[in-house]
Formats: sequence, structure tokens, C-alpha cells
Amino acid sequence: MNKLLNRNKMLIILFGIIILIVFIGFSMTDRSSTTKAEQFTGDTVAASQSIIGAPVHFVSNIFTNITELFGAAAENEALRTQLEMVPQMHADIGRLEAENERLRDALEVSAKRNYDTINSRVISRSQDQWLNNFTIDKGENDGIEEGMAVMTPEGLIGMVRRVNGNSSFVEMITTSVSQNNLSVEIHNGDATIYGAIDHYNSERGLLVVDNIQNTATIEPGDAVFTSGLVGDFPEGLIVGEVVRVENDEYGLSQNAFIQLASDPSEVDVVFVLERDPDSLGE
Amino acid sequence: MIFLMALVLMYGDFLFADFSPFDAGRLTIYTVPKMLLMFILLMSVYINRSISSFFAIVFGILIDIYSGLVYGVHTFGMVAFVFFMHTAFRVFYKDFVAMAFVVLTLTFLYDAYIYTIYRILGLVTLPIFDYIALRGLPSLILNALLFIIVFIITLQTSKVRKNLLPKH
Repeated sequence: MNKLLNRNKMLIILFGIIILIVFIGFSMTDRSSTTKAEQFTGDTVAASQSIIGAPVHFVSNIFTNITELFGAAAENEALRTQLEMVPQMHADIGRLEAENERLRDALEVSAKRNYDTINSRVISRSQDQWLNNFTIDKGENDGIEEGMAVMTPEGLIGMVRRVNGNSSFVEMITTSVSQNNLSVEIHNGDATIYGAIDHYNSERGLLVVDNIQNTATIEPGDAVFTSGLVGDFPEGLIVGEVVRVENDEYGLSQNAFIQLASDPSEVDVVFVLERDPDSLGE
Repeated sequence: MIFLMALVLMYGDFLFADFSPFDAGRLTIYTVPKMLLMFILLMSVYINRSISSFFAIVFGILIDIYSGLVYGVHTFGMVAFVFFMHTAFRVFYKDFVAMAFVVLTLTFLYDAYIYTIYRILGLVTLPIFDYIALRGLPSLILNALLFIIVFIITLQTSKVRKNLLPKH
């Protein structure tokens, strides 16, 4: 009888491990849609978390506001100075956009830079704190789709991995999966060097672009943008800047280390970018 | 009642993610609370192993779908650790210190289990020594402090449940 029980236990454990492997395989596949069951579960947890988290955020906001009050006068002055420049900047942007459009039409170049933004707020961070992924309060009903780029005011931070009705799960570019879609361009003066993010070096906290030709000149301080060549990301989104350049282990190519413009540990408000459909599939 | 308490503790774990990690000099230290896991493990002692396993499955699925990148890791882990708790508790003498030791050791091992899975899948590259020094031990200290709160919550939940159940 004991042996039979042990055998049953062994079978249950084996069955559990098989199920775990199947689930891991399912979640690691490159899916383009979220199932209804996932959407329902995600939305339910997100909604109840918003309700339970509301009093905590309310108290936390009071403390933040009190702290910010001390520097309010100086900040106000600085913002007022910036505001005075806004009408001129708007006029410049309008003029440059029109000029850009004309030149693009003349060259018959597609608008890879065109996108609409959807503002969103972070509801929660991943509770096991391993991959720093987060959930935002906008979903399918707001026009969000899988694969869209997500930015903070400072720069690119991730991509939408799963979309529920009223919330979405965002994977940071510091995780290995999202980097499959991330091609970048490094601007060194007038020269542009194209490459792809290989991985995120967690010890240094830097993204690594590898296999760059030795003949290309890259220097610390060079700006890094998305190139829009691979995946659904629009062109020209700020990723960060080069902080270090090293030869690879055989000396055949260079690796560039990039400091992210956005801070992965401080994400509160984000923008989801909806790329112009005309520029896709080229 | 149990479900509500487990839900609140799960969101408590989520809220901690807003304050962690923090920088201490040049080091980034992670403190990862496991209030929900400790509650589920204590339930297997104070309430019932079957109920504990049921909640392990329900909340494992919720966490996996809501915030997990790899499905099944939390669901499988929580159920397995409820069984470990049951087995360990048959071996150890049933007193508070032994129970606290078992629960805290299991919370430490649970995080190590997730680290191992992510490491195998290539999702994290943190060396094992850094993991223990910058994440494992600080989290263990935090969970030792939180254990007292979770222990009281479990006892109260158990009492309320007993009062609500029809007496024979």
C-alpha cells in the first residue's frame, strides 16, 4: 500500500513537472494575442489592486506633496522661464514638421517616425522583482496592442507583451525577450551606425550592442535611437547614450555599452506608441 | 475570509515592489517580501493542508497571469512548497521556533527556486554570490520581521474561521 502511495506521489510530481514545462514553453513562445482567460484574470486583479492600492497611494501622495512643497517656489520660477519659450517652440515644431513632410514626400520615404501616443499610469510592478516588468492601466479598449513600444518621458522603456481589456503587461527592454525586436542606430556626428541590442548586462546596468564593425567610430556620449528597421517600434525613439566601447574577445568587432535614458526602477507615467500602420511591413 | 486576507497580503507584496530595490552606496539591494507565501504555508499548519493547496493554486495562477513572464512558475512552486512544509513539519517538533525556522527557510528556498528557473531560461544573469548577498539575505531579514505580522493574521483568520463554522 505504501509503495502504491509513493508511486502515486511520484506520478503526481512528474505530472506537475510536465505541466510546468508545458506552461513555460507556452509563455516563452512569441505570441501575437492574449487569450480571453488571461485578459479576464489580468483585468480582475488589476481592478481589485487599484481599489486596494488607492488608500495607500493617497497617503503616499500626501507625503510626496509635502516634500515637494519645500522646493516649489524655485521649481515654479524655472518652469515659468521654460513656459515663455513654448509658443516659439510650437511655431518651430510646426514649421519643421511641415518641411519634413514635404521633403519626405519629395524623396518618397515612408513615415517610420509617425506614431500616436496613449498616456498611461503604472498600476503595479512585478512582485517577485526579478524582471522589473509592470502593469499599466490602459488596454485593448484604449487601442493598445501587443508589440507596441512603451516610453517614459526620458526614453524607451519596454514593449507591450500582453493586452487585457483595461490593463496591459509591459516587458522592459532590460529583459532578454523584448530585445529580439530592438534594432538601434548610434549617431556619431553626421555618421549613423546601425546595430541590434544583444543583451542587458545586469551587473553594469547597461544594454549591449554587439558586432559593430571595427572601422565604425563610436564614442562615449553618442546618442542611441531606435532604427525602426526590425519589429513594430517606430524610428527615432531615444534609447540612451553610449558610455563605453570595447573590442569583442577576438578583436574582430566592437561592443557598445548603452546607458538607458529612462530609469528602470523609477517608472510611474508612460506613453504607449502606436506606430503609423502605413509604415509597417516594409 | 481566508481569500480576502490572502488577497490583501498579495497586494502587500506588490506594494513593496514600489520601494525596492534601494541603493546602498554602489550596491543595489533587493528586499522581496513573501507575505502571501508565508500565509499559505502557515495555513497548511493552522487551518488545513487541502485548503492551503487550493489557495496556493489559485494565487499562483493569479500571480503568474497578472505579473509573470513565465507561466506556471509560481503555481507549481507554491503547491510544491505547501507539500514541503507538510513534510518538514512532520519531521520537526511542533513549536513556534521550529515552525518559524521552517517557514523562513522555505521562503528563502522559494526565491532561490525562481532564481534557478530564470537562470536556466537565461532571463537573469546575476551570479549566485551576488544573489545571496544582495537579495537572498536582505529578503530573509525582511521576511523574518514580516513573519510576526503574518503569523498573527493567520492565527486570527483561523479563529474567525472556527467561530464561523457550524459546531457539531
